[in-house]
Amino acid sequence: MGATPSVLVIGGGSTGCGIARDLSMRGLSVTLVEQGNLTHGTTGRMHGLLHSGGRYAVADQASAEECIQETRVLEDIASHCVEETGGLFVKRPEDSEEYFEQKLRGCEECGIPTEVLSGREARKREPYLAADVDKAIAVPDGAVDPFRLCVANAASAQNHGARIETHAEVTDLLVEAGEVVGAEVTHESGPGTRTHGKAGTTERIEADHVINATGAWAGRIGDMAGLDVNVRPSKGVMTVMNVRQVDTVINRCIPKGNADIVVPHETTCILGTTDEEVEDPEDYPEEEWEVDLMIDELSKLLPVLQEARTIRSYWGVRPLYEPPGEGTADSEDITRDFFLLDHADRDGLPGLTTIVGGKFTTYRMMAEDISDHVCDRLGVSASCRTAEVPLPGSRDERVLDDAMDEFGLTSPVARRSKQRLGDRASEVLDTDGPNPVICSCEGVTRAEVQDAIDQSGTDLNAVRIRTRASMGNCQGGFCTHAMAQELHPEYEPGQAEAALDELYQERWKGQRHGLWGEQLSQAMLSYALHATTMNRDHATRSAAGSRTASDADAGETVDFEAFDGGAPGGD
Amino acid sequence: MSDADSPHDPGVPDDEIPDDEFEPVDVFPESELDLRSGADDCYKCSTCDTNCPVAEVDDEFPGPKFQGPEQWRLKRKDDREIDPSIMDCSNCMRCDNACPSDVPLSQMHNEARAEYVDEQMSKLSVEYWRNRVLANYRKGAWLGSKFPRLTNALANNGPLRKLGEKLFGLTAEREFPAFATQTFREWWAERGGAQVQSEEKRVAYFHGCYANYNTPEVAKAMVRTFEQFGYEIVVPEQGCSGTPMFANGMLDDARRDAATNISSFSELIDEGYDVICSCTSCSMALRQEYPELFTFEGTADVAAHTYEALEYLRIHEDLRGALAGAEVDGDGEDLAYHAPCHARNQGLARQAVELFRDLDGVAVEDVGDSCSGISGTYGWKAEKYEKSMAIGEEMFEEMDEAEGRTGMTECPTCAMQMEHGTGYDIRHPLEILEAALVES
Amino acid sequence: MAIEQEVLVVGGGLAGVTAAVSAARTGADVRLVSYKQPTLRNASGLIDVLGYTPDGEGPLVDPFAALDDLPEGHPYERVGADAVESGLALFDDLTDSTYEGNHTERNALIPTQGGRVKPTARYPASVAAGLASDERDALLVGFERLVGFDAPLSAARLNAAGAPFEARGATVEFPVALSADPKVTRFAHLLDRDEAGEERQEGSVRRALVERVVTHLDGEQRVGFPAVLGDDHPEEVRADLEADLGVDVFEVPMGPPSLPGLRLEDRLYDALDAEGVRIETGNPVVGYEAGADGDRVEAVAVDRSGATVPYAAEQFVLATGGLVGKGIDSDREGVEEPVFDCHVGHPPDRYDWFDDRAFGDHRFARFGVDPDRELRPRNGRGAVEFDNLRAAGAVLGNYDFAAEKSGSGVSLATGFHAGRLAGENT
Repeated sequence: MGATPSVLVIGGGSTGCGIARDLSMRGLSVTLVEQGNLTHGTTGRMHGLLHSGGRYAVADQASAEECIQETRVLEDIASHCVEETGGLFVKRPEDSEEYFEQKLRGCEECGIPTEVLSGREARKREPYLAADVDKAIAVPDGAVDPFRLCVANAASAQNHGARIETHAEVTDLLVEAGEVVGAEVTHESGPGTRTHGKAGTTERIEADHVINATGAWAGRIGDMAGLDVNVRPSKGVMTVMNVRQVDTVINRCIPKGNADIVVPHETTCILGTTDEEVEDPEDYPEEEWEVDLMIDELSKLLPVLQEARTIRSYWGVRPLYEPPGEGTADSEDITRDFFLLDHADRDGLPGLTTIVGGKFTTYRMMAEDISDHVCDRLGVSASCRTAEVPLPGSRDERVLDDAMDEFGLTSPVARRSKQRLGDRASEVLDTDGPNPVICSCEGVTRAEVQDAIDQSGTDLNAVRIRTRASMGNCQGGFCTHAMAQELHPEYEPGQAEAALDELYQERWKGQRHGLWGEQLSQAMLSYALHATTMNRDHATRSAAGSRTASDADAGETVDFEAFDGGAPGGD
Repeated sequence: MSDADSPHDPGVPDDEIPDDEFEPVDVFPESELDLRSGADDCYKCSTCDTNCPVAEVDDEFPGPKFQGPEQWRLKRKDDREIDPSIMDCSNCMRCDNACPSDVPLSQMHNEARAEYVDEQMSKLSVEYWRNRVLANYRKGAWLGSKFPRLTNALANNGPLRKLGEKLFGLTAEREFPAFATQTFREWWAERGGAQVQSEEKRVAYFHGCYANYNTPEVAKAMVRTFEQFGYEIVVPEQGCSGTPMFANGMLDDARRDAATNISSFSELIDEGYDVICSCTSCSMALRQEYPELFTFEGTADVAAHTYEALEYLRIHEDLRGALAGAEVDGDGEDLAYHAPCHARNQGLARQAVELFRDLDGVAVEDVGDSCSGISGTYGWKAEKYEKSMAIGEEMFEEMDEAEGRTGMTECPTCAMQMEHGTGYDIRHPLEILEAALVES
Repeated sequence: MAIEQEVLVVGGGLAGVTAAVSAARTGADVRLVSYKQPTLRNASGLIDVLGYTPDGEGPLVDPFAALDDLPEGHPYERVGADAVESGLALFDDLTDSTYEGNHTERNALIPTQGGRVKPTARYPASVAAGLASDERDALLVGFERLVGFDAPLSAARLNAAGAPFEARGATVEFPVALSADPKVTRFAHLLDRDEAGEERQEGSVRRALVERVVTHLDGEQRVGFPAVLGDDHPEEVRADLEADLGVDVFEVPMGPPSLPGLRLEDRLYDALDAEGVRIETGNPVVGYEAGADGDRVEAVAVDRSGATVPYAAEQFVLATGGLVGKGIDSDREGVEEPVFDCHVGHPPDRYDWFDDRAFGDHRFARFGVDPDRELRPRNGRGAVEFDNLRAAGAVLGNYDFAAEKSGSGVSLATGFHAGRLAGENT
């Protein structure tokens, strides 16, 4: 083949970004399109567990072995996204002794290192564990930031020449002469980084091969080419605590069940989860009982959760898949394995491969498999290097240990910034101008916000997932407007305003699920600040017409002259 | 090896089961309190920051919201590093009183400071030993009081003070407090202890270091006033309340003295005594800091039974009635009153003004809610002196504008600062109360 | 019982202070007990009466004209228009020349942090030159290290909203070397003292600030700064800046922490003192003792680090605030008023407490006690909880102060009303 073969990857989750990186490192010409932000689908809505494999060690040993293998790889190539917290499988008195033994044996069989702890030893590690926890198995579970990992994969792909388009929705697959040759894409605000208020465009993107890596949305892409991809989306709730009650992943040692895991994630703990099949990956009920279940069940492991503050809850949809004819009744029993559907073999439609199922922890391995497959189809012989070459941010681990360089920040802020930015820290934080903290909950400075804006335009949610700004206890009440101000003057006031409204609403969406006690006080304070003081619930424009016409289309009409113009004789 | 297989009744916490194989584990070893959950109460309103006297004069100081809930929330268990700015906190505790949302700010600061001193401060540094000596004022005071005249002369010898600043980081700007020629305890022993016996009304006096060694007249005023109201007083064995130790991150030193105090006073509480302090920082320590930082048996009991002297009389006696008919001899003394930050924290900021407002012979003027700036040992450190005086500036100005040339406060170190900044004589409310109510 | 008084006010925010003064002016012996610092200092310092109707109509030019149409149960409906007027009159009296707006019944439109205007009835004198209905052009000045107020962006928004003047914005470095994150009180302190002090810079800070700003002036007759122009001496700071700039100077109100809120608090506490109210701050009221037949409160229980001390009175006013001030508390199961356990109506399903839109119609914003026309909280059956307990301010339910822009007005009107009735009933 003469020209560089081209591949279109649909889906900007962990799998899609992993494939884009892999193929572009092999020298292919890659374009990735994602309908929302990177991680918009399931990746951005997982609990952040980096599996040691322990959770699968009894029921699915093949997956368990893959997990421990890939966890080791990610600890190397993505050190700035991973926290090696360790994990515990904790047994309560009423939990099966037999299963505990099975778990221990299973781990050993899969090569997962274990250590059995007495209840007291376990409590020494995690003092908030319930007093009646019998014993525990320690395993090398970890925590991972899916946003950072995905963004780093995309950045690496870009560094190898890939084109990454977010807010680019596939509206049709292009099928010519019985072959998929590309896709029709609608760019919400034109190609490139997102810009609020900029008109949308459509584009035909042609490619030698198209990869459908859209997870729970894979069925929809399949439909566009008349293919039946039977994804069974299953929702699960995750509840975010305000602080880390534990620094170790806490699993309950039971065969299967809802609400059996607590993951220390960045500054928070995440409680999970449930498993319930839904019809539509974008429209499903988010209910009170699900949140209550997390708190009530997991309080049996960590009683402190009963009184602790939650800041939000969110739901993720697993892209479960099973081959036609399996008909598993309970979504919890559907395999977590991944499936590569070669539509040439399966449906007689070449040019398209779909990847469904699978787990976040093994995203790189899945990406390697599908990349091998596509290269094979395209006649490219190049081998995978993603397991050896560290991701941007993780190329030099020394930055974290270098206590000397604090970039003029207080040490906790410097430490957190470096944990997020990895080896990019000095590139981002070494600024000449003043570098005040914009988000004080998470310790995010102006320089880091500006760096994220450079990457993602006016999309403040994209800034959020890169920096964690607005993800702390005030849920954006005290920083979203300051983040929006950072868009100006590069972007117009109207764009900053639209970006603010969008981020603020996104923060509200999750925060709604934690509205009692402290978080309800917080919500009222934020509401008072944004509505009472800033009057953000009322857009105002003059009866006499606006000076800048572009901003005048919304809001109530005001006759400025009718209001108090100052005391007579006053200053 | 593990005891995971050892059989026992399910449902019984195994921490309570005697086990030869393991030392019992304290779930919260006292040095490693996990205070991250304290951040749950914070809603970021920054009321604490607007009350911080240090942040107002020093923008390098990141303020109580950062030092407390934010720093703790950003912490992972293996993050040992505490921002060094914690040593710039003066432990005035105004943030506690400010926070509308119950964040345990000073507790977080105390823990962070102790952790910093333990893990990050060189035990060989002059700063460490200077702080240690300041924190353990009582030990020096004990020695000094043995030879009061000599010590007073040496301590305020100019060249010696300069040397102290150079070698030891103690400001040469301040004069050392004079030691009394007779300590309160010596006086108490000499007069034969309590002069009033009562089964019903009994108090145990926590005089603290300063009233014992430096201002026994305050302690005597307390004794005479309480006896006037018919109280039987005991003066039990006691150590330092710990206030200067908390402020310097010397929690181990504080714990030692707290153990003595709690055991000594909780026994008396069982016999029907309440604990009375004449120093508002001492009462603060017994009431708030002990329960926040220590877990000795009787800690909560001591906290619940400790009162500041005036506060106790206000609650238990008709003090208003007693003062209504009283007067202070003299020519209408005008008192410029400063409420110590630690008094503020106990809800006592206004009681002296309220009590003496209608007392004949004195006029009390509140000089406002600013901090005096000395915060115990803080203003004694050479590198903090300027800051301490900048914080005090507002109070000095207010005192200057006040009618009288006499100051009044409950806190001995605030009194030092008031005197240092204005040259006024400073009195304790108990002395006024004594003058009004006790036949001389 | 040693600590007793005729009227005891629980809570030290705007409503509590107003109630205490109002009661004291009837001749009663009054004590105000508060726990922590009031949320008053979080507020912008603007005194809103009614900016929008509960249906969202507005901004209202005349807030008083809209009072008659408020729904039954709304605090203004409970106390009546006279109490609203009287509450404001009391406020005008207490704040004297430091506040403006009483020359007219009309609302003023004030540019606030973020560049939008909001309707309000009284405003600090420091804000007066910034009114959006004033036709003079304005320069807004922000500081590099003060996040939350972006002057050029705010100016652009004012222009976009069609304000009858041209606004421009400029961002300058404060003329004193500062760390990256100085507190607002630090700016205020430097301007108050007018000397960078301490070691870093000689000379007048105000003067140096003027020098940085004057180069940006282009014919504007007024200059707006974020509201950090002094804490103890704001008039002096503003006067100096005006004299040196040769134009009017105003402050743009900000969210917490808010200097205008702080100054108002100081002013009101001085007034309380002057009115002879006894003030006690620092210990929480944790409960109460009822009389034998249960229909009167005899005393409240004040917690002093574990010891509970009764404070007796003839009349009580509850002014502990709302969800932010913690006068209303909640958990997953429900919503309560923690001191007297007064009934707080709320939907049983937690998911009915909020709207899915961030600025939707939030039921939680209207949580609070439900009073009769004497402001006595009523139980779930509509009967008065206690004969001698009245409530004022944000602890009251049935109104959304954030949406209506009515927070301060309700505190003043209900504080005045509750305080007067409490005082008259002693």
